[in-house]
Amino acid sequence: MSSGRFFLMGKYQAPLPAELRYCRNHMWCRLGDQGVHTFGFTSYAVRLMRDVYFLEWRIDAGQRVTARQEIGFIETQKATSGLYAPLTGELIAFNHEVLQDPGLINVDCYGTGWLFQLRGDATETLSVDEYYKHLEAGWENTQRLIKAQINKLGLEE
Amino acid sequence: MAGTRITVVLSQAAGKHPGKRALEEAIVAALLGRPEYEVAVVPNLYDLTPEHTGLMFLQAVSGDLIVLSWLYPRAAFWILDRHGIKGHQGQTRLRAEQAEEEVEADNEKTDTSDRPAGIGPGGEIPDRCIYTLDLRDADRAEPFIAEIERIAAECRQRRQRHAPPQPPGRHATTPVLLSLGLAFQDNGTTNLNGLHNHATHSADFVASSFTAQALLAPTGRRWYPVIDYSRCTNCLECLDFCLFGVYGVDAWQRIVVENPDQCKKGCPACSRVCPQQAIMFPEYKSPAIAGADIGAAGGLKIDLSRLFGGEDGDALSLAVAERDRELINAGRAAVGMSVGIPKRQAHKQPGQPKDELDKLVDDLDNLQL
Repeated sequence: MSSGRFFLMGKYQAPLPAELRYCRNHMWCRLGDQGVHTFGFTSYAVRLMRDVYFLEWRIDAGQRVTARQEIGFIETQKATSGLYAPLTGELIAFNHEVLQDPGLINVDCYGTGWLFQLRGDATETLSVDEYYKHLEAGWENTQRLIKAQINKLGLEE
Repeated sequence: MAGTRITVVLSQAAGKHPGKRALEEAIVAALLGRPEYEVAVVPNLYDLTPEHTGLMFLQAVSGDLIVLSWLYPRAAFWILDRHGIKGHQGQTRLRAEQAEEEVEADNEKTDTSDRPAGIGPGGEIPDRCIYTLDLRDADRAEPFIAEIERIAAECRQRRQRHAPPQPPGRHATTPVLLSLGLAFQDNGTTNLNGLHNHATHSADFVASSFTAQALLAPTGRRWYPVIDYSRCTNCLECLDFCLFGVYGVDAWQRIVVENPDQCKKGCPACSRVCPQQAIMFPEYKSPAIAGADIGAAGGLKIDLSRLFGGEDGDALSLAVAERDRELINAGRAAVGMSVGIPKRQAHKQPGQPKDELDKLVDDLDNLQL
């Protein structure tokens, strides 16, 4: 078993643990029993967002969700974004600690900063190598477009 | 000189954004002890329920009113209108600094002549102005204070021009501070809190029922549409489209948001089908739906939604998909395109006017991540 990988973002090395599965929307997925899996943001996503200030879910636990359905909203030091269901299934539970203190996402994105548990079919998720390739393929364009947004908005680094 | 005091209400951000709290505190601190202002702090305006003291306070204000919030000015103005807090819309000169050039360029090219006149707010409009300021327009207190002072002077001049001389005995003499709830339970020793105590003991504390605590009673998050009646033509497309009974008509057959709390959290579908973009969801992430004037700069943050899995599509298909999702969640059957599809949009040019941020988000979508 490999020890995971690091994706280089400028000077920052985003760790990608080997034992996790990954989703194209930059969430990780820890496979659990009876199809109930745990999800959180990858270090790649957290690096783009920086300090998380505000996290809100727009659905309740127990609800059915479809893949890519908008289920929440996040505001961070650098960004805002909708949050989207990584796969189709039933939203089992949200991490209440992280709602109280969204900073946990920054402190420990693969551990105490987990986001929610969802029951569903995770066969479509990516291995660490596949996710690494997915990041590699998109990195240049991501940088270019984020820079374009930053320039338009007059944001300073 | 007419001594009518101007009321300044600050609507707090939901959440724990340290930068936002700091700006809120700085603005209130700068207005403290100034007799010409009556200052109150309430939770996020959009989340207030009719029973909330903060809203009752706003309803009790009869004079000119300045409301600072983390909402687009248009959204804040029409939220107030919905709660019966009516007045003429005051023009603010405050604009996001970065956007000034764009705004000027935009003023020249924006052609609003094809926009039909809206039906306007219902009922009688009292003789006063309501100014809504967007706290995202600057990151320091000074520009807001300067704008508040400019507005106060404008209001005084207007009163002097239009009103008969004030009867004696209405001079503002003592600062009235209804609430300075910026200090929180875990932070009870701040300067602001101290000043609040002082104000509470002031002899001129007129509205003792509006205590800081009551004004700032915590709220839950709400989610409902807000209608801009300066744009709404009463076409009733939203009434046909929404299948959750949110909309209704009043005694004069005007569209109203009759049951706001039946609205489905996170769903902005009716806003997408409105031909006049008169329906706002003030907390939605897309500036056009949240109530930004087209051309104005929205937030000062990048939107990563496309990277994180947000969908794109034309407005109508998005709206239909959003509505079907909510129907299924409510245990009902999806209806797709079969119910309440706006007729007017059939022969409309594809592509609603989009603002700058929406376009950038679309660019992100082209990444196919």
